[in-house]
Amino acid sequence: MVTLTHYLVLGAILFSLSVFGIFMNRKNLIVMLMAIELMLLAVNMNFIAFSQFLGDTAGQIFVFFILTVAAAESAIGLAILVVLFRNLRSIAVEDLGTMKG
Amino acid sequence: MIPTSLNAWVATPEIFLLCSACIVLLFDLFVSDARKQVTYLLTLLVLALTAVLTIQSLQQGLALSASGVSAARFAFNHMYVADPVADFAKLGMLLGVALVLIYGRSYAIDRGIFKGELFTLTLFSLLGMMVMASATNFLTLYVGLELLSLAIYALVALPRGNVRASEAAMKYFVLGALASGMLLYGLSMLYGATGSLDVYEVSARIAQAQFNPMLLTFGMVFVVTGIGFKLGAVPFHMWVPDVYEGSPTLLAQLIGSAPKLAAFVFVLRLLGEAMGQFGPLWGEMLKYIAILSLVIGNLAAIAQTNIKRMLAYSTISHMGFLLLGVMTHSEIGYAAAFFYAMTYVITAAASFGLIMLLSRNGFECENIADFKGLNKRSPWFAGMMLMVMFSMAGIPAFVGFFAKLSVLRALVDSGLTWLAVVAIVFSLIGAFYYLRVVKVMYFDEPEGELLAPAGELDAKLLLSLNCLLLLVLGVFPNQLLTSLSHAVNLTMAGSAGMMLQ
Amino acid sequence: MTLALFYIFAAVLVFGALRVITAKNPVHAVLWLILSFFTSACLWILLKAEFLAVSLVVIYVGAVMVLFLFVVMMLDINFEELRKGFWKFFPVAAVVAAIMMVEMVLVLTNRYAQIPGAELVEQAPTVQDLGRLIYIDYFLPFQLSAVLLLVGMIAAIGLTIRKRKNTKYQSPGEQIAVKAADRVRVLKMAADAPLEAPAAPAADAGEQKPQA
Repeated sequence: MVTLTHYLVLGAILFSLSVFGIFMNRKNLIVMLMAIELMLLAVNMNFIAFSQFLGDTAGQIFVFFILTVAAAESAIGLAILVVLFRNLRSIAVEDLGTMKG
Repeated sequence: MIPTSLNAWVATPEIFLLCSACIVLLFDLFVSDARKQVTYLLTLLVLALTAVLTIQSLQQGLALSASGVSAARFAFNHMYVADPVADFAKLGMLLGVALVLIYGRSYAIDRGIFKGELFTLTLFSLLGMMVMASATNFLTLYVGLELLSLAIYALVALPRGNVRASEAAMKYFVLGALASGMLLYGLSMLYGATGSLDVYEVSARIAQAQFNPMLLTFGMVFVVTGIGFKLGAVPFHMWVPDVYEGSPTLLAQLIGSAPKLAAFVFVLRLLGEAMGQFGPLWGEMLKYIAILSLVIGNLAAIAQTNIKRMLAYSTISHMGFLLLGVMTHSEIGYAAAFFYAMTYVITAAASFGLIMLLSRNGFECENIADFKGLNKRSPWFAGMMLMVMFSMAGIPAFVGFFAKLSVLRALVDSGLTWLAVVAIVFSLIGAFYYLRVVKVMYFDEPEGELLAPAGELDAKLLLSLNCLLLLVLGVFPNQLLTSLSHAVNLTMAGSAGMMLQ
Repeated sequence: MTLALFYIFAAVLVFGALRVITAKNPVHAVLWLILSFFTSACLWILLKAEFLAVSLVVIYVGAVMVLFLFVVMMLDINFEELRKGFWKFFPVAAVVAAIMMVEMVLVLTNRYAQIPGAELVEQAPTVQDLGRLIYIDYFLPFQLSAVLLLVGMIAAIGLTIRKRKNTKYQSPGEQIAVKAADRVRVLKMAADAPLEAPAAPAADAGEQKPQA
């Protein structure tokens, strides 16, 4: 029997993988954006699982909005990436040397 | 859940702002690049009219509470509330955003970002802030927050040829998205623990012990982390100095002023109202974040030579102070934090406004050394900078002093005297770097050519009024403080009343 | 049966996610991400959330991932450059991530957590229920998400549009105003006359060079 815990654990694994991805790919901005998408996927997994096991529909509505926001977010993120790339001619974070971290 | 219907008229300020933002967007298409002043004036008009509508809503709320009815008016099926806290916060945001545009006008013209996007995106980010202030549902809170953040990420990248600005935008974007992810993960756990997304419903279920304690605590850790990131509190502060330094000063002002008020109301609704019962628990988490912010913010600011970086670290320490007020989870603490956030908006606006008026095309006045001998060049500017720095340092007779004092009083009231002592020690250390700027202005010889400060008359005049306000509010703070604490009391009483139903 | 399916999908999802963040080539990373989204959609169907699963595939696989692929391919990225130093962070990041993962899993699986509901709801909400909620109860966030998409559009256009001097574009006004006489010129020619040089093509009113 698949229980709520199964889904929550899967969500937790995905979430920590994506945090790992963000810190591992500090130079590779485009993969970093993908890791952010994975993070939102983990959150969506939680919301749907809770919603279906608690019998409350609001969680699924939240997922719709996360999907919408994520679409707008990736559009803006990629636009900033394109602008940055035109300025730098490379998208490695290492080149962001003008500022101290 | 309390049955409410659409009641859309309650949200008139937001509806008006949304419609007029769309009108500004369309209108701007027909304005040539040389005549963007028209769009600018139209934007200011929109802000003024929205402020009028908000004041009306505020008066209505106060009148309702005076006649013994709850001041909170719900709309959109309990997704939105207009209460005095929200209305006061909105007025502060409107003022903060208007000051950004007025002070930044010539700065923006010089740097080629005086474009339609600047106005429309600023209006949309303001809409996001206002929605955050009025949200009573996690979903509305989240959507408002994202509307605010996405518009600001794009605004920071607006000077397209500027490498530093686009780097700052990217950094802000990645860390902001990470923070949203953390916050969302926490919200999903809160939803799982209580089975509701409504702020009052969550608080009622917690009061009736219909929740899962383990999941709730687990979620709270992520929510506090997300809030820490968004506020830029230590240890989640890495982005703040880089973003302040890299983004155009105009946008540093936008990031550093009005959204802090939105963040405060966000914290009040999420932690204070929804999870008020768990005050001791999240208070403990916020306590360490606040102390770390005070320590790191003040110590790191001393080492800075760039004034924007210095102001960034100073923001971190101010956020520490704000969180100290919130962590007492008492009404007097919330009121102190609200007063702190409100006055910080005005102070930050003045400090960035001065930096912008001292800059001009091809010259960014951003090193502390650039202020050398400012008194000889322009005693008026030096005097205003002096007032801003004194207020930030918390020197008596300025509003910053009173804001700090009210937070300290809340701490002592909650029996946290040792924390108040720590806060005093670090604000004294903090006073050092503010006073260094004053020393540089008055006692150092100017280097290089003597540039007289530029800027239009209206910006100069308003800036002077702004600085004067710091002094006036410092001498007569009681009016504002009483109104704000009255508003906080009404809101907290409202949410307690909601729980009894 | 469901349990077996869950484990298969979960394994594919975790593997896909791992490959996304460690892939050598961003194009491969996008493809692995598509696999991850697709598997999640399958998991959501196991959770009886069919409509969301379909939306995930349509929105993500259909739109967002295409945007990612487009940007990856448009930008001329030096992949080797990006990979340098990737393994430098690996030990620390891996340890931190492993600790975080173990902690989160321990919190969620410990028996004090008392996570409720071993049973999935019998009556999963239908599309109609979702629609009613979105359009009535969640009307305000729904409108705001429309504003959010508008902001995304303004930002993306405002940031990336470039006016090139030599771009050819259409001018609909002039296209509509064009008359048959501007396009076609009927020449009277004798059928047996020797071939002349072809007439100069009529002015193409549709494609105009922009005013410089």
